[in-house]
Amino acid sequence: MPNILVCYKWVLDEQDIKVRPDDLSLDASRAKGKISDFDRNAIEAASLLVEAQGGNVDALAFGTQALKLSVKDVLSRGPNRLTWIGDASAEGADAFVVANVLAAAIRKAGPYDLILCGEGSSDMFFQQTPVRLAALLGLPCVTFVQKMTWADGVLTATRKLPDCTEEVRVAGPAVVSVLGEMNKPRIPSLKQVLGAAKKPSEELPLSSLGLAPGDLEPRAVRGTPKGFLMNRRNIVYKESDAAANVAQLVASLKAEGL
Amino acid sequence: MAGIFVFSEDPALARQLLTPGLELKAALDQPLVALTPSRDEAQTLAGLGADRVVVLEGPGTPEALAPAVAALVAQAGVVLVGGTLRGKHLAAHVAAALNAGLTTDAKTIRAEGGRLETTRILYGGLAVCEESLALPAVATIPQRTFPPPAPTGASAPVEAAAVTADPRVEVLSTTPVAGEGVDIGAAPRLVAVGRGFGAKADLDLAVDLAGALKAELACTRGIAEDEHWLPVERYIGISGQTVKPELYVAAGLSGQVQHMVGCRESKVIVAINKDERAPIFEAADYGIVGDLYTVLPLLTAALKA
Ligand SMILES: Cc1cc2nc3c(=O)[nH]c(=O)nc-3n(C[C@H](O)[C@H](O)[C@H](O)COP(=O)(O)OP(=O)(O)OC[C@H]3O[C@@H](n4cnc5c(N)ncnc54)[C@H](O)[C@@H]3O)c2cc1C
Ligand SMILES: Nc1ncnc2c1ncn2[C@@H]1O[C@H](COP(=O)(O)O)[C@@H](O)[C@H]1O
Repeated sequence: MPNILVCYKWVLDEQDIKVRPDDLSLDASRAKGKISDFDRNAIEAASLLVEAQGGNVDALAFGTQALKLSVKDVLSRGPNRLTWIGDASAEGADAFVVANVLAAAIRKAGPYDLILCGEGSSDMFFQQTPVRLAALLGLPCVTFVQKMTWADGVLTATRKLPDCTEEVRVAGPAVVSVLGEMNKPRIPSLKQVLGAAKKPSEELPLSSLGLAPGDLEPRAVRGTPKGFLMNRRNIVYKESDAAANVAQLVASLKAEGL
Repeated sequence: MAGIFVFSEDPALARQLLTPGLELKAALDQPLVALTPSRDEAQTLAGLGADRVVVLEGPGTPEALAPAVAALVAQAGVVLVGGTLRGKHLAAHVAAALNAGLTTDAKTIRAEGGRLETTRILYGGLAVCEESLALPAVATIPQRTFPPPAPTGASAPVEAAAVTADPRVEVLSTTPVAGEGVDIGAAPRLVAVGRGFGAKADLDLAVDLAGALKAELACTRGIAEDEHWLPVERYIGISGQTVKPELYVAAGLSGQVQHMVGCRESKVIVAINKDERAPIFEAADYGIVGDLYTVLPLLTAALKA
């Protein structure tokens, strides 16, 4: 029975972030947190696997203190136990730093048979963390996985490549990054939500991981983000008469020379 | 040996990488080395300004290629990798091996003050930011970000390096993706469909409209990846294609930023959606609020008239 770890990131919902038209800065004051989209697929994949054949699922996250808000949500989706590292430095972290932190935590809590990640985080979309993590832990990594099964310590996974899909078999521990189309994440039931409150979660201080200062220094330093402003005509035809709307649109397209 | 290294298994992308590669070569005064899994492509790259070309001979899986490339670029200043799925896996492994920073999908790239300065998008395309990377540095670069360089008339030496399989990952079977080889990026007009279409057969409405407009069909990620109604090469967005047609007609799609980032440089964007508050109307020049099942046939007929 597999011992599985799911790594998830707690991100701001990008649909709530607004661009200030005057200086193109981002206004995230109304943005709520969410479990990064494809990490919900990774959690679901792990939960389905152990619900079918037994085993254990742990969850791990590195972020700021805002991670506290994620505890119930994550645990109601299946994992038995959560470890989280909350530190302000997570804000400016690049994938080099994130992977160093996660790898150090896994060395403490592991070993795991399977480490599942999403294909990319919804906010940064580095698409690096799982591969870096595998390299640091000396494990193979199967990326962009659409389908997977586990039997007798052997993972069989279908991964996407530019021109084909490949079915691969990995014996022994591995890191996997899952695609969004792998499954439909559950909406936790009331029972699952109530059950989550009883599950253990532990905050690990960053300083307890034994990392050197250089391990926590981003190699890619991010500047201040600048919002992209749509500059479009926004002419909308919304009469009740569909034919009239169509006629107006066709006239507009003609005027555009199209 | 120090150097600017470029790698892509995609021939067109491999050539395009030489353009920023040549700029970095000039700025950092390091030789430009092209790595390729294809012996045929090696000859082409050798005539496009690379100082040296290395053919990677062996399996083309990410886990086999990545350590082979990491070994070849151990002393690199900069490594540029084509941003395909295979390339992204490989680049992350190389960056980990070099303890280096990696910009994903760099839009611009230049060397300055002994660092690599790049720009990329965040929050699904809502924002852009700069990244400043210590050397050695790695970047992935999407398709069509740069044009290929002109042939030099010279031909650089071509060598070979062996790639060995990773015994831990066994490939059981390979299924080619049923693509049609259509280059959606080259189409001057596109009709894009989303989840507003209730069934695959209903896409005929969009096919008819595309016929009347002389347009190609495109779609959102869900239509390609979840429903498999259209091939993946037709989906637009941050994880799909980037297009800049003169006309982009978006029917029954909500217009979320992860999709729009792939088409927002279109000259004219038209939206057809039954929900007046759908974000697509903010991103469109012209829109019709209405049911696509009514509007599309009317529009097709009006265009044919
Ligand atoms: C990290 C990440 C990367 C992503 N990358 C991509 C990407 O590359 N490309 C991409 O497309 N998406 C991507 N997505 C998904 C994206 O966020 C949206 O979920 C997706 O684009 C929405 O697809 P849709 O518009 O088809 O569906 P929906 O959002 O469900 O929209 C359907 C629309 O159809 C309208 N509609 C319904 N019925 C009718 C009708 N009868 N007539 C007219 N209108 C109707 C509805 O009002 C609605 O606006 C990504 C998401 C994440 C988190
Ligand atoms: N701070 C984090 N904490 C835990 N897991 C993370 C974190 N950042 C990234 N991941 C995992 O790595 C995947 C890819 O993220 P990224 O490399 O940022 O695109 C995510 O889907 C998560 O599974």
